[in-house]
Amino acid sequence: MGQYLPILALLILAVLFAAISFVASGLFAPKRTTSAKRAPYECGVEPAQDTPDRFPVRFFLVAMIFIVFDIEIIFLYPWATIFRQLGLFGLVAMFIFAFAVFESFVYLIGNGALDWGPVKRAVRRELVDPGRTANTTIRRVGAEGRMEFDDVDTRTATPGEAA
Amino acid sequence: MVAQNIFFGIMAAIMIWAALRVVTTKNVVHAALWLVIVLAGVAGQFLLLGAEFVGVTQILVYIGAVVVLFLFGIMLTRASMGEDENVNLPNRIVPATVGVLLFGLMAFATIDYWRDAELPKDGSPTTVEAVSDSIFSDFIVPFEATSVLLLAALIGAIVVARKE
Amino acid sequence: MPAIFSLDPLFLGDAGNLEILAIVLAKVVIAFAGLMVSVMLMVWWERKFISDLQNRIGPNRAGPFGILQTLADGIKLFFKEDLIPDQSDRFVFKLAPYLSLVPAFLVFAVVPIGGDFSNGGDGLISVFGNDTYVQLADPHIGILFVLAMSSIAVYGIMLAGWSSGSKYPLLGSVRASAQMVSYEAALGLALVAVLLKTGSLSTTTIVREQAGEGPEFLGLFPMPDWNVIVLGVVPFIIFFIATTAELNRPPFDLVEAEQEIVGGFHTEYSSIRFALFFLAEFMNVVTMSAVMVTLFFGGPAGPDLGVLPAALWGFVWFFAKLFVFLCLFIGLRGTLPRLRYDQLMDLGWKLLIPLALGWVLFLATLDVFSDRGWTSGGERLVVTGVFLAAMLVFAGLLMVAISNGKKARERDGEEVFG
Repeated sequence: MGQYLPILALLILAVLFAAISFVASGLFAPKRTTSAKRAPYECGVEPAQDTPDRFPVRFFLVAMIFIVFDIEIIFLYPWATIFRQLGLFGLVAMFIFAFAVFESFVYLIGNGALDWGPVKRAVRRELVDPGRTANTTIRRVGAEGRMEFDDVDTRTATPGEAA
Repeated sequence: MVAQNIFFGIMAAIMIWAALRVVTTKNVVHAALWLVIVLAGVAGQFLLLGAEFVGVTQILVYIGAVVVLFLFGIMLTRASMGEDENVNLPNRIVPATVGVLLFGLMAFATIDYWRDAELPKDGSPTTVEAVSDSIFSDFIVPFEATSVLLLAALIGAIVVARKE
Repeated sequence: MPAIFSLDPLFLGDAGNLEILAIVLAKVVIAFAGLMVSVMLMVWWERKFISDLQNRIGPNRAGPFGILQTLADGIKLFFKEDLIPDQSDRFVFKLAPYLSLVPAFLVFAVVPIGGDFSNGGDGLISVFGNDTYVQLADPHIGILFVLAMSSIAVYGIMLAGWSSGSKYPLLGSVRASAQMVSYEAALGLALVAVLLKTGSLSTTTIVREQAGEGPEFLGLFPMPDWNVIVLGVVPFIIFFIATTAELNRPPFDLVEAEQEIVGGFHTEYSSIRFALFFLAEFMNVVTMSAVMVTLFFGGPAGPDLGVLPAALWGFVWFFAKLFVFLCLFIGLRGTLPRLRYDQLMDLGWKLLIPLALGWVLFLATLDVFSDRGWTSGGERLVVTGVFLAAMLVFAGLLMVAISNGKKARERDGEEVFG
């Protein structure tokens, strides 16, 4: 257990260093806080949208496949230390294991669960109609009226090249 | 040996307290963090018992992967913060009973299997080679079965995750 | 017994000995101070080097050549207002810097930074009559400790982003943790290749195995017995790319892509809390460079060229190798554009991980068959050929799966796993 004594000592030293830094900063730093300073950061403007409520399931699947690989790797370490003694038997056992893991990996990829790029490409509609009226030439200020995204083509687009 | 027992006791006490906090806190992310403390305690106890490889596996797989998966799971359902009243089920009796039964079963199995087994007195650690030896001899079938289990888990995850 | 052999002999004696305790504490303090100083110099050198690449002058006010710039910045940050956002989770917000900084410190504990490994030396040095290694600790699991710490470091970033209660940090931290988790798998697989050769997880043993002379370069002169050469360059390249991604260094710095998500996970952090994240980030660059030197470039092992005492050459070789890696990281930052998130994920999952797994199995197959007496060139060629044919089948399978995945996505739209 003695091997872990220096690690423990370094851990305590690191924690102390961080804690003392915080205390020192608390002593030296000015405290002139305002509600604007404590508001969520939005590059100096009023936040227009709230924090997103949920994230894509894709992230969850990444963590899931990571667990699978992590466990495979964890078995690879002890195998790697004595694989010469185990010889062909160990090699075959590891091949079978790796094949099963690879299979699940291929299944995941085949489902497109690890594809991240955008699939849809927004097609710009012409901004100005041939028949020009006051409504079309003088467009409204702001996001609306600038471009319309409802016309979306899913078939011709390939992932990764959309704007 | 005495110091080892004292540390073991301290860790066990912290773990029990943290485990209680896991089920009583109303903030889901906090619950996950308390769980990390419980798992870190398990890793620490393995280290104390000289099972270094198992201890570090505990950190790599459970803290480094499983709880990260939990956190992703929390973030993809509700990333917003604050306490959640729905976390405490009104019907707590059933899960509590299942928990106690599971604990009893595991405790019985452990005690029944090990009985009077003693740890080496000189505190010499179990080497990675020894772990490897038993994986690739006595436990070769569970080892291969693990891969199939992982495959099943992953297919399950995809089926659940797909929106249809 | 080889297992005990790799352990630091300092602890084999009486554990309660005060002298040993004093040596341990001295080593810890030196390691701590050395890390801080090296980070300080690294930050300065990075700014100086980058300025040169960009035709600027860089820091030149504080101290000679601006070498004290980092120290000045650090001191300045103590005097800056420390803000905790209203919408934050205060406890986790304060906890996150610790979770980032502490693992960054601890990784360094298992890196051998000196000692004499030339002419079959075992790297031990003698301090007041006690033999010890020039590294803090040498546990059996050695290199796995590095992986364990880097898996804990994910928490610092993830919780910092989540607890800020603000959207850019949250986006940055979810991105970051998915990225780090993805490349950790590639990192772990590349590491297995090293273990195949050394057969031990202990860092001292890994270095000792790389000391001495390796295969000959075209029959002309012997190359060093470094893992980067012996294992084929592939595991090292995978490890290097994965490390760069783990460190969130350019070109993998999507975590703090300032055009998209401001500062990423530490957007809401200010004052010394920010400084600690910054410190941890650069400390990780230094320690992971040191880990790569240990695993693939023989660590402190190198020839004893005389002039200096033999024990000092270990330090010289180690720091020379470390410096090359630090410059490499800075050069990458100065030259490469940032990847897109889909490119990042494709590179990690669809190329590095299958390649690393295949390479490990390839090395193992070669070794197992040469142990069975298949040692001649022709027999090795047969093994390689059969293995390559099998791998081609699997690679084809993977290709089909990738194109199927793309088709499925185009058919069903993005929302299937939305």
